[in-house]
Amino acid sequence: MAEICALIGPNGAGKTTLFNAVSGNVVADGGSIRFRGEEIAGLTPHEISARGARRTFQNGGLFPELTALENVLVGLHAQVGSGFFGLLFGRRSAAAEASATMRARELLSTMGLAHIAEQKAGALSGGQQRMVEIVRALATNPPLLLLDEPAVGLAPAARQQLTSVIRNLARTRNIGILLIEHAIELVMSVADRVIVLNDGRKVADAPPEQVRADRAVLEAYLGHA
Amino acid sequence: MSRRLFWLLPLALLPVPLLLNPYQQYVLNTALLYVPVGIGFNLVVGNLGLLAFSNVAYFGLGAYTSGVMMVQLGMPWWLTVIPAALVGGIGGAIASIPALRGVRLFYLAIMTLAFGELMRWTYIRWEALTGGSMGMAVPTATLFGWALDTDRRRFYAFLALVVLLVAITDRLLRSRFGRAFLAIKDNEIAAAAMGIPTDRYIVLAFAWGGAVVGVGGAMFAISVGHLTPVSFDLTELIRQFAIIMVGGLASLTGAIIGAVIVTVAPQVFISFPGFDELVFGLLIVLVILFLPRGLASLLARVHPAFVERYYRG
Repeated sequence: MAEICALIGPNGAGKTTLFNAVSGNVVADGGSIRFRGEEIAGLTPHEISARGARRTFQNGGLFPELTALENVLVGLHAQVGSGFFGLLFGRRSAAAEASATMRARELLSTMGLAHIAEQKAGALSGGQQRMVEIVRALATNPPLLLLDEPAVGLAPAARQQLTSVIRNLARTRNIGILLIEHAIELVMSVADRVIVLNDGRKVADAPPEQVRADRAVLEAYLGHA
Repeated sequence: MSRRLFWLLPLALLPVPLLLNPYQQYVLNTALLYVPVGIGFNLVVGNLGLLAFSNVAYFGLGAYTSGVMMVQLGMPWWLTVIPAALVGGIGGAIASIPALRGVRLFYLAIMTLAFGELMRWTYIRWEALTGGSMGMAVPTATLFGWALDTDRRRFYAFLALVVLLVAITDRLLRSRFGRAFLAIKDNEIAAAAMGIPTDRYIVLAFAWGGAVVGVGGAMFAISVGHLTPVSFDLTELIRQFAIIMVGGLASLTGAIIGAVIVTVAPQVFISFPGFDELVFGLLIVLVILFLPRGLASLLARVHPAFVERYYRG
């Protein structure tokens, strides 16, 4: 059973910067980032993605002009193993493409998204977009999923669904989750461990009950007790 | 465009030369050679979404590579086609350097435009090879000893090359490569997060585009028979840009339609010199106003067979 770790803190605390450092979108000035025993600081985003740390984005992380299905196919990019010259002269690439498409459809339908597979991602509702983005990130079955404010802008029902999806991923698929989230009820209900950041520093690192009890932390850094 | 339709079109074109007078044949050949020119341009601007205006550079590089090899080395034309593609492709890879450094939008447009102008300056200055601004005569092409000395003969050689280039590029665009190009256009950061080595794909799109355009240049060299630097100026760039805007961005069919229209439309005004530029301008404005996705989108609406997999009309 993998861990769900939430990263909370006031705006400007450095949550997204930390996230971007892990996913390779910014280069850390110093220190070390280790993933499954390997130093990943300084690697490019696509190298980190290939090692199995996959992320979603705060808003608009999809490819709006591509369909939901094509978005997931991009998520499978590295697994559709057609090389450039093999592609031009070989037959194998068509088979690889067909099996990837089948897999992408499967992934969408396990999340109940089969009916929107052919729709442009840009035309989907906020909740659907968030789910497609999670499916896309999970397409390669990564050991770690980084979710950047997945609940923002979601209706209560969609938020509920998201909560159970996150819980399921960790419990049944054994996918470790690092979550940035402002929706404190969601954090408290799914996280095994909560890290509170303020001004670029870690000020708490404890199970949710303990962080909840730490009134000083909540008052000082979240503004509500 | 569906596969069956794609093979039908060149077949239907086979008997067409019998119906044309030599001048009309020349115009049709010109339309044909602009197909790869449009395809290469569209790959970078339409599919990859980068505003690179160095297309004329690859066109000129291909044309001069072919012409110079024929004159200086006495090589037959068909042997110069692959070198023209290589040199055009290298030109494309060089032109992608600013994009790799993160240069985008107008800045990229200006820098790549400068690359094209630099190449034109090179043709003017490197007189020993290119004949400078006076230009150079290109000898008659031969294909395995068979002289491509009439427009009708060149037509069949061009047709075969264009079919090959369209087929290969079509394969590329329908694969994970084509999908990666569109992903990079839509959201470069997310594309990298999905494991796409974006830099490598940007170089690939530029280089493949440059190679395809370079072949168009080699066709141009024997079609006009005389190369001058003025053929590779900004007016030429506007003509090539009109091809992809009128035909439709990110569409292979669009590049084909655009090449035909941009070549044939000015013929209507042939007796009014200077009007052809007006025609391009007008065409671009009208299409942007009424068909922002180009004429290919109109075709895709007429019949689903014209819908390309990764193209939205």
